[in-house]
Amino acid sequence: MRFAWFALVAVVVFSTGCALPAPNGQQPRPAGDARVVRIAWPDSGVLTPFRVSTLGPGGPVLLSLVYDTLVWKDAQRLIPWLATSWDVSPDGRDFIFTLTNRATWHDGQPLTADDVAFSFDYYAQHPYRWQSTDIVESASQLGPDRVRIRLKQPFAPFLDDVAGSVPIIPRHIWQNVSDPEHYTAANATVGSGPYQVAEYRSAEAAYRLVANPTYFAGQVMVDEVQQLNIPAETRIQALQQHQVELVQSADASVADLTRSDPRLQVLETPPLSIVRLAVNTSKPPLDRREVRQALTLALDRTRIAEVITRAPPIVGSAGIVAPETPWFDPDLPAYGFDPQRAKQLLGGQTFSLELLADPTYREPELLQPMLQAVGVTLNVKRVDAATRTQLLREGSFQLAEVQHLGIGGDPDFLRRWQAGTEANDFAQGWTFVNAEFSQLAEAQAATLDLAARKQLVDRMQAILADELPTIPLYYRRFYWVYDQQRYTPMNTWGGLMNALPFVQNKLTFLRR
Amino acid sequence: MIRLVLRYAALALAVVALNFGLPRLLPGDPLDAFAPDGLGPAATLTASARARLQATYHLDQPLAAQFAAYAGDLVRGDLGWSISRNAPVGQLIAERLPWSLALVLTALVLAAALGGGLGLTAAWHAGRADRWLTTVSTLVAALPEFLVAMALLLVLAVGLHWFPLQGGRSAFAGGGLLDVIWHLSLPVLTLVLATSAGFTLLARGAVLGVKNAPYLVAARGKGLSETTLAVRHAVPNAMLPVLTLFAVRLGQVLGGALVVERVFAVPGLGLLAFEAIQARDYPVLQAIFLLASLSTLGAMFGLELVYRHLSPHGH
Repeated sequence: MRFAWFALVAVVVFSTGCALPAPNGQQPRPAGDARVVRIAWPDSGVLTPFRVSTLGPGGPVLLSLVYDTLVWKDAQRLIPWLATSWDVSPDGRDFIFTLTNRATWHDGQPLTADDVAFSFDYYAQHPYRWQSTDIVESASQLGPDRVRIRLKQPFAPFLDDVAGSVPIIPRHIWQNVSDPEHYTAANATVGSGPYQVAEYRSAEAAYRLVANPTYFAGQVMVDEVQQLNIPAETRIQALQQHQVELVQSADASVADLTRSDPRLQVLETPPLSIVRLAVNTSKPPLDRREVRQALTLALDRTRIAEVITRAPPIVGSAGIVAPETPWFDPDLPAYGFDPQRAKQLLGGQTFSLELLADPTYREPELLQPMLQAVGVTLNVKRVDAATRTQLLREGSFQLAEVQHLGIGGDPDFLRRWQAGTEANDFAQGWTFVNAEFSQLAEAQAATLDLAARKQLVDRMQAILADELPTIPLYYRRFYWVYDQQRYTPMNTWGGLMNALPFVQNKLTFLRR
Repeated sequence: MIRLVLRYAALALAVVALNFGLPRLLPGDPLDAFAPDGLGPAATLTASARARLQATYHLDQPLAAQFAAYAGDLVRGDLGWSISRNAPVGQLIAERLPWSLALVLTALVLAAALGGGLGLTAAWHAGRADRWLTTVSTLVAALPEFLVAMALLLVLAVGLHWFPLQGGRSAFAGGGLLDVIWHLSLPVLTLVLATSAGFTLLARGAVLGVKNAPYLVAARGKGLSETTLAVRHAVPNAMLPVLTLFAVRLGQVLGGALVVERVFAVPGLGLLAFEAIQARDYPVLQAIFLLASLSTLGAMFGLELVYRHLSPHGH
């Protein structure tokens, strides 16, 4: 009987072990032979523009290593990339890009203006979900290395938002693909970027990207980039045990690690993440500006930020746009912590409000006593993201806590939030209707003069600060911990692509 | 036998219908993309893109039409396309199934063997051994699985570096079966600790029930050793309850082990199901629930057959 049990166990272990996917047949490289940088991040999906994960920003960031865009960003500004130069027509609708003639696809085919024109035509039929190209009216090849992109109307964010984040795809692969979301052929991940997809283990969410030896923009210094799915709880330990070279943390206390391990460094990003309360301004009592202002004054947002982030607090600006970014207006009224003033605005009223919050959020425990002190009872309803999004879309909420990125790049996001033309998990719940704000939002998008546009955006922020359709609690930085002996990340001007606080800009892998 | 088969076939049909309907009772829209931990924005979705995706996944159809499409796909062996992961559901499951089997099945066999052995020992020897084993088993069974997993991780992986921190194998390092065994050791140990106590207590009770049976008294009187009495006479007659528990747990194998998979980042079906629930990914949820339900039904069916063979009163 005992032998039978032993045999059964041995058979189970052996057979299931054999049933597991066969490991990569390659032998691991000796430590000193190849340079590999491993990054800890969850699954990013199949690395094509049409199958990349839509759950979180890791997808487009990793995609940017495999594909290129017309322009890119370094630490200070927008820089030429596939496009070596560009001209803009006086009316702002025509962009004529001159392309490099040195770029090639991973399969060796040359990247030409025809591919660029094709890309925008293709995206009109099969949208790239991380950046809308609806503003593009047409794209046409003017020559082997020149392409004209005509916009439906002048659009100030075009270079930053669209030309700087939409991946250019090869015509010779995609022209015959009518269903790109279901395209699974081996050549689906052919791009022009510094890295090619060598292996993607979807179950383990593990990626192995190998250097493109003929990359047009410079020598690729890191032979392999691997992205590994390591749980948040053990990422720092994995870094300390030399299993990865770059991990992200939202906790400022990771800086303590560098004192104990000289190998490790921490790179802080600008505060491009926001925690705020979405407010349903269409229903009483929150349809009254005085109530919204009172709620803001009742909250000690400095303390909330300190307790939650354990970092120097960055209190939310009523104008939403993040500080330390070019479009931030520092002259907005600052709502300090003033419970007495809050009570005056409420006029002695007491009422209850319901707050939707994720089960993991800790802010509600701090908000409740602060609001109770001014006569507002806060009932917290814990719901997951899917439920919250549906309730916000239906308008079935009073307050909802949302946390997200994307508030530090081009300020056109303010227009998109309130326009209701996009739906994502943080634009939901925008019930604010203000004719002047809407006019300013449309005008700033079409204003190409920087100074004039800044004035318009400042006025938009002033309206937000006065009306408070959302109550920004605080901003957060990302803390990227890295092994400085093996890799050096960088902050990108305005965040990577659409204000993403990621530090693995493709420039960090190149020698130019 | 025919009635048995028909009964289980009807249950299977009911399972298919339930698996279709249950995910749709959850609030939320599968087309909304949710970024975890404040890492939004997730991807945008214009109204036209949403309409196109709704048509692609039949979400703009009445429920009856959606079910017809789902049933038709099932008949063809097509489990559908994952909305959140943009990949064939069959592929997602096929990639994760071996991990769940390796983890849960191994732990189940070890837990049954260990728990059965300890239960037999406790019941047979009684006295102090019984009290200690019963107390320890009860305490271990009371510990939350998450706590056990984290404790093992912190002590053996983070502290002592004896085991890996996460994953089912070393990433891209060319490791073989030994590498997998090394990676799965802590997850398996967690599950064994979490589930063996149930086997221990059940086996103990079952053996106590037959320990003083007349046939055992007679066999002892014939001079057989205690080991022979225990293993050859007591165990076969006491094993039905243990076998039942084993079969029930076997049927749950395809549900994975969410907590353990999450803590140790083992890419099994439990974690896939959890993430599909968060994303309201109907095709993935339908497929996993179906697999888990049908495997449970299959295990119960097999158990009924075994019962009929082992005991004339088994059915």
